Amino acid sequence: MTKKMEQETHLLKTKIKDLIVDEGFQKKQARLSLGSDATEASVAKETERRMKQARELSAKLVRPLGTSSRPYPMWGSQRSDYNGQSHLEQVLSIIADDSNPMKVYSERPFVEVIAMAYCDMPVPSMLPLFFDGLERRKPESTNRTQMMIGDPGAGKSFMGALQGRMRSTQPVEVFDCGGKNMNELLFEMVLDFGAGDALPDAIDKRLKTGTLKDISLGYISQLNDLEKMPEDVAGKPEAQEEWNKKRIIVTYTDNGTPVIDWKKLGTGTKEKIDNAFEILKKISNIEGLDKAGGNMLGMNSQYGPLIRWFMEGREGVLDEYNKSKEGSDNGLQTVWQFLNGETNECTVENPLKNKDLTNGPSSFTFRREDMQAGFFVTLTGNKTEDGLTTRSLNKSVYSRLSPQTLPDPTEADWQHRICQMMCGVPVSTLYSVFREQADENPKEFGQWLMQLRKAKAELEGVPVPELQETLLENWRSVVNSTRKLARFYSEWSEMTNADNLMTTGNTDLIEEVDEEYAKKEGIDFRKIKQHLEAALPIRPHMLPEDAEVKADFKNFMKQPELAEKEYENPSVAFGTRLVDVLDRMVFEKSEAIGKHKLYEKLKASMDNAGLRDIVLQDGAHSFQRSVEEDLNVSVFDSSDMGKQAAAARKVFCEYIRQVDPQIVEADDDKIITIARLKKSLQAVAEKDTAKTKELFIVNRDHETLGTFPLESVRIEDIALYTGDGTEEIELSVVNHEDFMAALALPTVGAKNLEGIWDTNIRMRDEQIEKENNAGGIDAEKNATADEILRITENRSELGLATTTLRVMFKDAAGEASDVSVHVVMNKNRKKTLVVGEKVPTKLLSAFKEAGIIHVDRHAPNAKAKIEAALNDLTRGTRNQEISKRYLADAFKFRNELDLGEFLLDKKVISSAQLKAARDELNGPAYKDKANEKLGEILIKQGALTAAQLADKTKLSELLVDDKIGMLFEKYVVKDSRPKL
Amino acid sequence: MTDQGYSPPPGLLEKTASVAAQQNAMERGCKFLPHGCRLFPVEQGWESKSIANDENVSVVSTLLQLEEVMKNAGSKLVFIPLDALMTDADIEKICQRNATVRTFFKETKKT
Repeated sequence: MTKKMEQETHLLKTKIKDLIVDEGFQKKQARLSLGSDATEASVAKETERRMKQARELSAKLVRPLGTSSRPYPMWGSQRSDYNGQSHLEQVLSIIADDSNPMKVYSERPFVEVIAMAYCDMPVPSMLPLFFDGLERRKPESTNRTQMMIGDPGAGKSFMGALQGRMRSTQPVEVFDCGGKNMNELLFEMVLDFGAGDALPDAIDKRLKTGTLKDISLGYISQLNDLEKMPEDVAGKPEAQEEWNKKRIIVTYTDNGTPVIDWKKLGTGTKEKIDNAFEILKKISNIEGLDKAGGNMLGMNSQYGPLIRWFMEGREGVLDEYNKSKEGSDNGLQTVWQFLNGETNECTVENPLKNKDLTNGPSSFTFRREDMQAGFFVTLTGNKTEDGLTTRSLNKSVYSRLSPQTLPDPTEADWQHRICQMMCGVPVSTLYSVFREQADENPKEFGQWLMQLRKAKAELEGVPVPELQETLLENWRSVVNSTRKLARFYSEWSEMTNADNLMTTGNTDLIEEVDEEYAKKEGIDFRKIKQHLEAALPIRPHMLPEDAEVKADFKNFMKQPELAEKEYENPSVAFGTRLVDVLDRMVFEKSEAIGKHKLYEKLKASMDNAGLRDIVLQDGAHSFQRSVEEDLNVSVFDSSDMGKQAAAARKVFCEYIRQVDPQIVEADDDKIITIARLKKSLQAVAEKDTAKTKELFIVNRDHETLGTFPLESVRIEDIALYTGDGTEEIELSVVNHEDFMAALALPTVGAKNLEGIWDTNIRMRDEQIEKENNAGGIDAEKNATADEILRITENRSELGLATTTLRVMFKDAAGEASDVSVHVVMNKNRKKTLVVGEKVPTKLLSAFKEAGIIHVDRHAPNAKAKIEAALNDLTRGTRNQEISKRYLADAFKFRNELDLGEFLLDKKVISSAQLKAARDELNGPAYKDKANEKLGEILIKQGALTAAQLADKTKLSELLVDDKIGMLFEKYVVKDSRPKL
Repeated sequence: MTDQGYSPPPGLLEKTASVAAQQNAMERGCKFLPHGCRLFPVEQGWESKSIANDENVSVVSTLLQLEEVMKNAGSKLVFIPLDALMTDADIEKICQRNATVRTFFKETKKT
């Protein structure tokens, strides 16, 4: 570090008097420094010098916030006129003032200040306090304190420390005042371990290696009992518990090893330090450490944190000030008078000096002229309603520190904090103030959000987590979903706030929500943290209640062999995980502990807020997306083609390597460049495959795949061949893996899924109908059939669709044959189920990312997986069971089901039962309705029940059956169109 | 670079491994700590080794060392080995009293 740089990082140590750009003030300072004999000319010259210096120093320190080109959000009261009346309202607006912006006096570069100010921005209702804090940190401000009172978890100490962090890279010391004597802020007793903390180091080493003697371990446990419980605490369980928590110095690891908080042990009251000194002396002696050189131990009195901060020109936070020991802050009154600007000088005496031969400073004088730019003290306090240990401060303290009370959080505050936790940026607040610009150019707004997040990540020293990056790219989904989450959290917080039940419409909860419950389970911002922490990691997912899973009882006691781990992008099911966590929390915090009314209200609130899919009263799926859907995002949703190409390249190369042993190239770039793949994806994106019926697969030709990664394929539908069956067609059928790999590619997969639908069956049926029924078709009779037909064409209003394609597949023995790939889709929910053969493992994670559930029809739990997928696909439709039946019927338009053989094969009926039923069917008259009639007869003859028949012929049973052939095959075949 | 093979600059592979390990850990979720600090668990293995060996990462085994690292503006990334003498509650407490942003990677037992 150069000398100049070093000086600039210590600019906050500049005396405030040297920073004030005010001629009158500097003239006064000039006179003071030159003495009363100075001439007017020399005073003028000195004033000029001082003014120049103040301007230069200020220019180096000032970072403007809230200018016309970089507005900063601000919340406050504003008058608005309507209906001829003036109304005072609280609004979220901006500060955009080039002449008088907000100013941060900081040693940090502008970009770091901006990153913190925007990413860590306090919630909207706290912004006026943030603004006030900045004003009080200006050099000309003589009040160098800010006191905030609010509910626990509101973010008071965070905001105080944030202002300090924005100014300097040094940490802001947070002093926990709870249960402490406030005189310690001025002078404190310390254990003196000498340079290098040799004694603590030596003890820690022995603790780590397990070589500390048992008797020493016994003494260490006594370090948690250094002070007597104060009289006003004894007898009050809550206060006692809190006091016990605060005095903990030694914690224990999982294996029982003590951990000593040396910093906490090293400072405090005389009683505490005396006792600690005696214990450590004994340990040192037992361990023989007193004989080793350098392991010194002494005690002393020294300046407390408040004086140190003043001397070092630093910021500090006095946390939970109104939980400090009653009456212990009387000696601080004059100090507060100095710090708030009432006086310019104040001297405090050290009461510890010379007590039992204690050394240390005898007094300290705070002088205005010594005040440095970096000095500031934030005090925080909890509302007095918060527990017994929170006390009301003296009137004199209130009048000197003028505490500012935080307003109760609004829905905008909840949303702001949820966004911050989720994405690292308060997207909702920034969208609120830049709405017009963001709507006009969403991409640019998204890029700006990412820029802010990346600047903050630089400060953190790590990249932006992938989940946050994906969410920021989908910032609209974040705004939508967090709005709903905020409404839910806000209502949850009202329902668990015992003080306000009457005013928030929750009178019916009075019996269930009492003070104690509110204190323990009341919802504050900290709960969002806990819920997100639980939702972030990918955990095992509980299967639906009716999922079919067969346990392997025979080998149950043997450890199972796990399948190859499929990578899962954490953002793909983030929404589902979060909503699952909330479902669980709501139950655990209400119904599980006997609070039925609260549970019912919370469930209703979740439904109203739209956490899960929104189903309207008439049963139709709402166009409003649920929180779950909005937050289940993947790179497939990205509008950035570069990102899609990068993801596609990964799938492409991994697939090629896995299926083609000749490709051993480890460098993806040498197989295909992102730029080239991006060009191909762009070309595919421009195609209207729903019309052109063009599909694309991975080009496996070694010579050309680096230049043309995709090749064009099409569908050859046998339903279009209406001749006498003698036509011969030569087809080059696409192989199963290539077709599947294409579905797992961003853009390509989506375009292929648009291109596989047709109306060929309808055209064929209509032709036959015309020939057989010259009078026309009975529309009413055919309404249901038409809906089912529409499902085969992907034109159903339910959003459901299904079809089957034929592709070539080589089995393990190398035998090639054509196989069916069934596709079931819900376009409203962007969910697809594909049932086929086994696919290369590398494709499985890509399918997840694409929102495609792939099921290998031969897998042992295939049916259960399909059933779960179908439940998910049909969720939100009018009636799930009917929807699934429609899908099963639609499946039969293309696939040939011989019910008798199917049931026989499944061992549901015997061959004798089948024969008897067929005999009753009596000949070919029933040919067209053979399945329907056969089912009826089987039931009538008691071979099986109607429920059994329905269960055994449900769609999941049909989809896994590889013996079901097709009535009209749809082959995916190679095409002669140029490669892309 | 030659046709025979590519020789990466010294330390590049180690650095890449550390960054990959950090990203993997960040994808698995975190514990939010006071003042914007985050703690990412890292299973014992190549990932924890790569992070521990990264010269940009400070390795701390005791609370005294952790307290020091919090005061050093240059130590943005902190690795806590499995045998470190501290609990999650201790880390949280130290973050609470030293308001500064640090990213922690804490080694955990292999499951």
